[in-house]
Amino acid sequence: MFLNHFNYFAPQSAAEVLDLLGRLGSRAKMLAGGTDLLVLMKDKVLAPEYLIDIANIAEFKGIAYEPGKGAVIGAATKIAEIEHSAIIREKYFALHQAAGALGSVQIRNMATIGGNSCNASPAAETPTPLVALGAEVVLASLTGERKLPLEQFILDNRKTALAEGEILTKFILPEPAPRSAGRYSYIGLRDAMEIDAVNMAVNLVLEEDDLTLKDLKLVMGSVAPRPLVSVEVPGLLSGREFSDTLVHEASRAASGEATPISDIRASAEYRQEVVAVLARRLLYEAFAAAKEV
Amino acid sequence: MGRQNHTEVGRSVPRLDAPEKVKGEAIYTDDMVLPRMVYGKIKRSPYAHALIKSIDYSNALAMPGVLAVITGDEAPNKWGIVPQAANEVALALDKVRFCGEGVAAVAAVDEETAEAALDLIEVEYEPLPVLLDPFESMDRAGEVLIHEDAPDNILHTGEQLFGDPDQAFAGCAYVLEREFHTSYVNHAFLEPHSSLASFDPQSGKLHLWSSNQVPHYLHRQLSIVLELPMNKIRVTLPTVGGGFGGKGEAGPTDFCAALLSRKTGRPVKVTFERNEVFFTNKGRHPCHMKMKIGLDKDGYIQAVDFDNVLDGGAYSGWGMVVMFYTASMIHLPYRVPNARARVRRVYTNKPTCGAMRGLGGVQPRFAMECMLDEMAEMIGISPYELKLKNAVESGYRSVSNLYVPHSEYKKCLQTAVEKSGYLDKHGKLPYGKGIGLAGGYYISGTAYTLYQSYKPHTTVLIRIDTEGGVTVHCAAADIGQGCNTVIAQMAAEALGVHYEDVHVVSGDTELGTFDLGSFASRVTYGSGVAIKEAAAEINQKLKEVAAGMTGCRADQLVVKDRRFYSVFEPRKAVEWEKVVDVYTNSVGTLTGIGHFSPPRLKGIDLARGERVQGANIGHSPTFGFSCQIWEVDVDLETGKIRVDRVTEAGDCGQPVNPMSVEGQVEGSILFAMGQALFEEMKLDPEGKMINPTLHDYKVPTAMELPEINATIVDSYDPTAPFGVKESGEGPVQPTIPAIVNAVYDAIGIRFTDLPLTPEKVLKALKEKKAAE
Amino acid sequence: MKQLIALNINDNVYEVPVDPRDLLVDVIRKKVGLTGTKKGCGLGDCGACTVLIDGSPVLSCITLAIACQGKKITTIEGLVENSGRLHPVQQSFIDHGAVQCGFCTPGMILTAKALLDRSSRPTLEEIKRGISGNICRCTGYKKIVEAISAAGETISQEGVK
Repeated sequence: MFLNHFNYFAPQSAAEVLDLLGRLGSRAKMLAGGTDLLVLMKDKVLAPEYLIDIANIAEFKGIAYEPGKGAVIGAATKIAEIEHSAIIREKYFALHQAAGALGSVQIRNMATIGGNSCNASPAAETPTPLVALGAEVVLASLTGERKLPLEQFILDNRKTALAEGEILTKFILPEPAPRSAGRYSYIGLRDAMEIDAVNMAVNLVLEEDDLTLKDLKLVMGSVAPRPLVSVEVPGLLSGREFSDTLVHEASRAASGEATPISDIRASAEYRQEVVAVLARRLLYEAFAAAKEV
Repeated sequence: MGRQNHTEVGRSVPRLDAPEKVKGEAIYTDDMVLPRMVYGKIKRSPYAHALIKSIDYSNALAMPGVLAVITGDEAPNKWGIVPQAANEVALALDKVRFCGEGVAAVAAVDEETAEAALDLIEVEYEPLPVLLDPFESMDRAGEVLIHEDAPDNILHTGEQLFGDPDQAFAGCAYVLEREFHTSYVNHAFLEPHSSLASFDPQSGKLHLWSSNQVPHYLHRQLSIVLELPMNKIRVTLPTVGGGFGGKGEAGPTDFCAALLSRKTGRPVKVTFERNEVFFTNKGRHPCHMKMKIGLDKDGYIQAVDFDNVLDGGAYSGWGMVVMFYTASMIHLPYRVPNARARVRRVYTNKPTCGAMRGLGGVQPRFAMECMLDEMAEMIGISPYELKLKNAVESGYRSVSNLYVPHSEYKKCLQTAVEKSGYLDKHGKLPYGKGIGLAGGYYISGTAYTLYQSYKPHTTVLIRIDTEGGVTVHCAAADIGQGCNTVIAQMAAEALGVHYEDVHVVSGDTELGTFDLGSFASRVTYGSGVAIKEAAAEINQKLKEVAAGMTGCRADQLVVKDRRFYSVFEPRKAVEWEKVVDVYTNSVGTLTGIGHFSPPRLKGIDLARGERVQGANIGHSPTFGFSCQIWEVDVDLETGKIRVDRVTEAGDCGQPVNPMSVEGQVEGSILFAMGQALFEEMKLDPEGKMINPTLHDYKVPTAMELPEINATIVDSYDPTAPFGVKESGEGPVQPTIPAIVNAVYDAIGIRFTDLPLTPEKVLKALKEKKAAE
Repeated sequence: MKQLIALNINDNVYEVPVDPRDLLVDVIRKKVGLTGTKKGCGLGDCGACTVLIDGSPVLSCITLAIACQGKKITTIEGLVENSGRLHPVQQSFIDHGAVQCGFCTPGMILTAKALLDRSSRPTLEEIKRGISGNICRCTGYKKIVEAISAAGETISQEGVK
């Protein structure tokens, strides 16, 4: 199981990366953690001519939080760093949970948050809470930068909105709203090294009465070619008082929206079923947590 | 020597080979490098069933760095672990019968070149219809034949009758019939198959290093396939990274490496990728079983009827033996006075099934332990009570002539029940939580020889000299189960020295004496008998010298703790080394040899006094027993089963190394749990394996480790060397039914097929709810 | 076209000619000749190939050797002290019967060492989670977990790293 022959570059700055990308375009693939890329290359699904190693570019790494402004996470930041970050745990708990659920200790030490989104596997862990938390991505190229909400960046199974010559440089997470909380969960066969049958994140904002839902975002992973943002659940719950009946309705609505496929991990029917279960559990969890904030 | 005198046996000494393993210094086959060594890779069929019309490897051979290519016609001799049914070849001959079967092999200067060369080999196939289900195989045999010499697509059918089951059933107060289906699972040992062959053209000798469990068997198969005289072959096992039965045969890495080495005149190494390990398979047979059990009004088993269709995959391998084992495994650990078994091992176009830990036992155990659990409910008694009253005891002889010299099965049941609080919990836990009990047993060695001869199954040669001290030669295969350590302990016990004094030379057919191999949990018992015999010879000679040195009579001397001393006057003593020194100076190097042959038992129906075909398979000089009780928590909304606790009590006779026994028990529990809950090899409709990776073939990780409370019950088999029985395969037997019984206790649903995925459980919960 | 790179493995610098596509596990095993690191699956699913890079466990079968320049690589061979004394995790594995076939052992020990470097008194759950990327088929994990816990105690008391 060998990789194809390729040329390897290890640029030292973001400018160098963009320059290379500008010249090589789609003939090059970015090497960040490599946990998806190298496996795809070993399976002969991909055979890029060039690999650009961005693991050492300081500008692409790091977690920076500014109170009131939110967080900026470099695309090449390791999942392990996100998992262990105190500020992510405090402010963006759903992302903390997803990071901790990804792969194994070793994979988390290698994989990057940017890679997880750019690989755009429908079962990816971190895009789900990132979308729920309202993350945006910054895409850079020689011609400049642009920003996109993450849910508009991930288009389909292994397809993103990256244009030729572009690279994802950072994630911008908005400052969490007061009285808000996000939670993430997943269903899988084993409790480690698992590709989820279903994953989900809920971000919920309460009014001052700690009962009425001001805002809500529910995102499902692994039940559609890309993170599925629920329309019905916010529609049902926004502006209304949190109640068991509503949660029950919402979870069934979420289940109805999901469009899962049957594959080696689970059947479509099962995924549809457990979407409702996850939705209910996460709504309760997020609600309880939001009240504490 | 009575049990109370042991000093080396019964000690939890650290493994002999542990230090080199923790340092990364243990050498496995793929770690080896020989001068001028090149690498081999195998080209595999993309079709599950096809004729090979032509193979053109000229382009591959022309590639720079490629030294040789071989195809099946260069080694057409059939090999197979069961000599009467050998139908495997080194590389496919004329036809492929499973997707992934090897059709050609390349030797090249490096692995990259070898792999690239495979793409240049052009094979023309004529696809044939694919049979993926054994019932379909049998039904369509008129139209599609997998092997020309099996006109019904059946390798073998076994029919066994003991007593009069029909009459017995007629008189039973309780009769239950059920169907069970087990899954297609793989050993998933961590070290992929690997072989390094070095053929020396000048001497015509072949030296093969291999990750293997049966060096002597492998040696013999190499002779057959390569048409080399036996004495021109040497098989050496480097450190082996797990086998669990999957390396208990010869295999494509062995033959391809050897053939390529002979062709190129250079050492050739062939190491599999993980997907090739799955294609090679030889894992557990999926069984489609029908079982009928009849109990009298007091709950005693009167009759068992067993029908088993084994899905064998493409070739015979261990199939016939496994088949007969499944028939045999209904006769214990309960008293069964009447029985009928009809077993058929069927060919399908899938990677072949073979021997996997607890071979032939796991499947019928699943059926029987679950059925008895259900029948206990029918009667209105606890499953514990039902199993306890039917449990065999020491001295039991089954109607199939299996003789159980020693059993503490009842103690296992009692201990596990007591420690788990089973009786307080069973039927009384809140809905969703459950506790399940199952028992099991296993053989300590097989009567079946794999050789059509009656030579001893194990020979041990012990050499005593002043350079090496004590060296035990026996080509037994340590595959991680720790038999080298156990052999050293038993030899030390028998010779009266310390475990640390003993060197073990094993796993080499030139340096070690004959041993059948590591399977059927035979090595401890078999080598134990041979060690005792060899040691007796040595002790006799040394005692004669020690007698002179101490002024005693030889027969009054005892050797222990590295000293010979008189039982009557312990002050009359002399150090063991000094005696060895004197012996060596006066006579020379001292050796002792011992052999082990299991008792030759006929497979007969004791009730009618008639021979029964295949019923000698399942005989063993002694048997180990165990009971497991599993506590589960079922997530009623997702179907996920969480295991809270496992309580185990096992009878392995005298544990030679209790820490090692615990390791076997704990390993077995996780191993079998994998089959119960997570593992399954999946094929697409064309017969191509969809998940030949450890990514999607899900073996338990450390996160799945439940709380395990395991007890080695106090036991000593007086008929066994040092009182030992088996431990490596018995503990996998009760696991699956214990989990299934626990799930029934939790949610009131009895599952009859595996694995119990969350999806399967949730679907069953919904159906149950809808039916209410 | 091969490139000469310098790899720091166990505090020794090895100059090896590599092709960009060469994987770290193959370079360690075949070019440097340290065969303690094992290959169980080649796709990052089993953990047998685990090495430490700058103290963190990673999977060398899906790591490019060329991407490891300037980093500190630790393989199992690097744990034994110069005096020959074993690292507490190694000794503990021997003492607790946590080694059977030994194939998962090098990767498992390195992962455990890194876990204990982070926190020498991890809980049972933390240990299980910490090693869940290392598959073992022989031991059932129980003695491995016990060995790690005991090694942690030794490290806490002795202040060893």
